[in-house]
Amino acid sequence: MFGIAMIQASSILTPVLIASAIALLLGIVIVIVSRVFAVPVDTRLEDIKGILPGANCGACGFTGCEGYAQSMADGDTNTGKCPVGGPEVAAELSRYLGVATPSFVPKVAHVHCQGTVDHTQKRFDYRGTMSCNAAQNLFSGPNSCTYGCIGYGDCAVACPYDAIYMANGIAHVDSSKCTACGICVKTCPKYLIEIIPKNLDAYTVKCKNKWPGAQTRKNCTIGCIGCQKCFKTCQYGAITMDGPLAIIDQDKCTHCGECELVCPTGAIVNGLMLGMDDNGQPQSTGTPRKAAMKQEA
Amino acid sequence: MKELLVILFSAILVDNFVLSRFLGICPFLGVSKNVKTAMGMSMAVIIVMVISSALTWPVQFYILYPRNLGYLQTGVFIVIIAALVQIIETFLRKSIPALYRALGIYLPLITTNCAVLGVTILNVDSQYTFVESITHAAGAGLGFMLALFLFSGVRAKVDRADVPKFMKGLPITLVSAGLVSISFFGFKGLIEKLFG
Repeated sequence: MFGIAMIQASSILTPVLIASAIALLLGIVIVIVSRVFAVPVDTRLEDIKGILPGANCGACGFTGCEGYAQSMADGDTNTGKCPVGGPEVAAELSRYLGVATPSFVPKVAHVHCQGTVDHTQKRFDYRGTMSCNAAQNLFSGPNSCTYGCIGYGDCAVACPYDAIYMANGIAHVDSSKCTACGICVKTCPKYLIEIIPKNLDAYTVKCKNKWPGAQTRKNCTIGCIGCQKCFKTCQYGAITMDGPLAIIDQDKCTHCGECELVCPTGAIVNGLMLGMDDNGQPQSTGTPRKAAMKQEA
Repeated sequence: MKELLVILFSAILVDNFVLSRFLGICPFLGVSKNVKTAMGMSMAVIIVMVISSALTWPVQFYILYPRNLGYLQTGVFIVIIAALVQIIETFLRKSIPALYRALGIYLPLITTNCAVLGVTILNVDSQYTFVESITHAAGAGLGFMLALFLFSGVRAKVDRADVPKFMKGLPITLVSAGLVSISFFGFKGLIEKLFG
């Protein structure tokens, strides 16, 4: 009777003891390891992460909010790199870190294409998935200009702030909603979208094609033909030629508007885009000076 | 040596953990959205699989079997793997922060991964020696990596495809996972032809 009780007790006791011993041993090892390899956690990192908007878009140039926060915790004093948070976040970060508030230049995404259905033709009838990325894989998309906006709105879908809309076959950025996070820049298979300083009077070459002028004219009536008129007109050296394509340096531009006046095709445009008006047409902050001059004359 | 090669390649191709043993399906579906995350997860799985095999094998053969406690293996192995992941994480954070950031969230996720527990129990059930166990674990990890790598490519294609509405998302992913799995059945018989 007593013997059976002993056997039963040991057949339960041994596994319990062994399992507990293993667990205890592992517990001790974990404690020792966590003591030996303790890492001092920077409490500032968490605070800085709390101030940042947490969009993790990467527009600051880091991998995400965590990366930028880490950089500032390590001594980076430039608090104005977050375009999503804007000047408020920059000011709060500066207050927290005790550094001077940098002059914050708001930025905005800008689509460099005007090739609407009125200005371009279709090379073929595309019936695949309604995605720019998919269409790009099929002979660079159906549009006559293979540099221009395909118009299926991958960027509009990708935009987390609902700032991009499609009108007449091309994408427009509503600059009042855009936070310049740069997600659309990475989405566009044609690399048409750029982040530029948010200046409502900005002049931009709304074209990205690298064809010679004659071929451009054949495929789009409003593209940059590389005539260099704007390049020769600009007194401030703000326009450079990248092959047959004019590019305006937004930092050097004084917004005199001479380039828009000489541009023979209308590829240079004044102003940023706003939302749609009641007729579904995109609105712009710019004033088309050329048309106004014509009316005066 | 030939034995080890057979075990390694069987684990990678024929008895692929994800595609023919159906272990570790959760990370297989969860982190195969792009190649980068798939590689991070796979690296973590390989490391944990090999080290946990090296730890659980002696525990099984020198502590549990001599005392007729083989039935404790599941519980004890889970505890060992969980502790091991914790230790590796602490160690990496201090010693190799770059690798720690690269593995990121995937390391703690493995704690309760059935593929890791599966490899340790299969080592014991197949009566592998210590070296064979480690080889088997490395093969299982590499097979996991191969499956994730291939499937992340498949998913990139599926995401762009014009899928009927009711099949969008997880349904089409599971169907394509099944097709990839069927394709791996083509490797049956390969090992005998190569090494036999």
